[in-house]
Amino acid sequence: MKGSQIARAEDIIWRRIEDETVVITDDGLSVHVLNKTATHVWELCDGTCGPDEITASLCDRFDVSFEEANADVKDIIAKLEQMGLLKQAMEVPGQ
Amino acid sequence: MSSKATVDEGTAPCDCVMRVQIGDICCSLRCHDRDVFGSWKQLYSDFQSDNPADISVDLEVVDRLSSAEVEAALLQTRIVPEGNRFVATDLTLESEFDTANRALSMRVEKRLFDPALEFKLMNRLLSSAYYTACEAKYSGRLPAMLVHSCGIIRDGQALVFAAPCETGKTTIARLCGEEYGQVINDEMLLVSRPCQDNGPLRVQGVPIVGGFYQRLNATAPLSCVLLLKQSKRTAVRRLDKMEAYLRFMRQIISPAYIGQTDRRALFSLIAGFSDEVTSATPFYELEFTLDREPLWEAVGELERSLEKEELT
Repeated sequence: MKGSQIARAEDIIWRRIEDETVVITDDGLSVHVLNKTATHVWELCDGTCGPDEITASLCDRFDVSFEEANADVKDIIAKLEQMGLLKQAMEVPGQ
Repeated sequence: MSSKATVDEGTAPCDCVMRVQIGDICCSLRCHDRDVFGSWKQLYSDFQSDNPADISVDLEVVDRLSSAEVEAALLQTRIVPEGNRFVATDLTLESEFDTANRALSMRVEKRLFDPALEFKLMNRLLSSAYYTACEAKYSGRLPAMLVHSCGIIRDGQALVFAAPCETGKTTIARLCGEEYGQVINDEMLLVSRPCQDNGPLRVQGVPIVGGFYQRLNATAPLSCVLLLKQSKRTAVRRLDKMEAYLRFMRQIISPAYIGQTDRRALFSLIAGFSDEVTSATPFYELEFTLDREPLWEAVGELERSLEKEELT
């Protein structure tokens, strides 16, 4: 499996502020601030990319190995899913 | 949405109607109760307008409950919106909005106009009228938003001291008095969106009542925003964009218009406006004590550093 495509949850508001991102949920009651790396992951979570594509993009952007970046991406996605900010968009067949 | 440019104010005797200017919006207020109308004339004297009304508010004052009953009711009252109608659960207030004519009819218990309560009701009513008329006039693209803040003009430039309730806006106004600047308002201000020509944002006084005696219908370019922090020392610290954005967002008055149900759209507007203002204006945290001199010295130093920054 190449991995599921990841999408941002509906009914949230987010805004990029310089290198970071603010995500607002629960009608403004909860505010989450994503750091630079999480912002890069977040922006690619548009329902068309899975963790591997996001990792590859992260490797292009930052000087980091695929393994290290992939662990970070999975960790960030898991945390954002747990907070209800991301969801699995759909399963895509592996190559 | 109505295609009418202005609203019909009805045929009430003219001594019961006044028009109040809130930024670009003119609100017609009508009330037959002499006491209530008399207090409006006093409170909003600097905001009386001859412009055509964008929205009208027709207030019927009823006297059914005692002060004790109103006080008890207010502890548990909730205002329930039902489309364009909203009713307080204790019936101290009921209202209906005619969208096509932008006319708000309200029946309000007289005790709600007791001096201690009046400001809350009228402040809420006027901010709601402002956003409702803006929605019709500008189709959701607000030219300016209301910000919980105290505004002071010094040397032709407006300083905005933003803070939640009970954290020093009125104190700053009192520490300013007439000696250190001109207080526009100590409770709320209109802050414009950035213009296309990249000119400074503008601050405008509004007829919203706080704890200070003065409200001015004045406008001035925004110099900077200071977020207040009561402290045991006087200090000014520049905020980075993220901190300014997050803290300022909390001071923007929700642009809810009558009949608005999409809370996500409201927060999207607030988030966008906070981004625009914090991108266009320097933000600081101001720690202050009740000692006037060090406060205005610190503010003066900040103004001089901003002037230098502008020159370079």
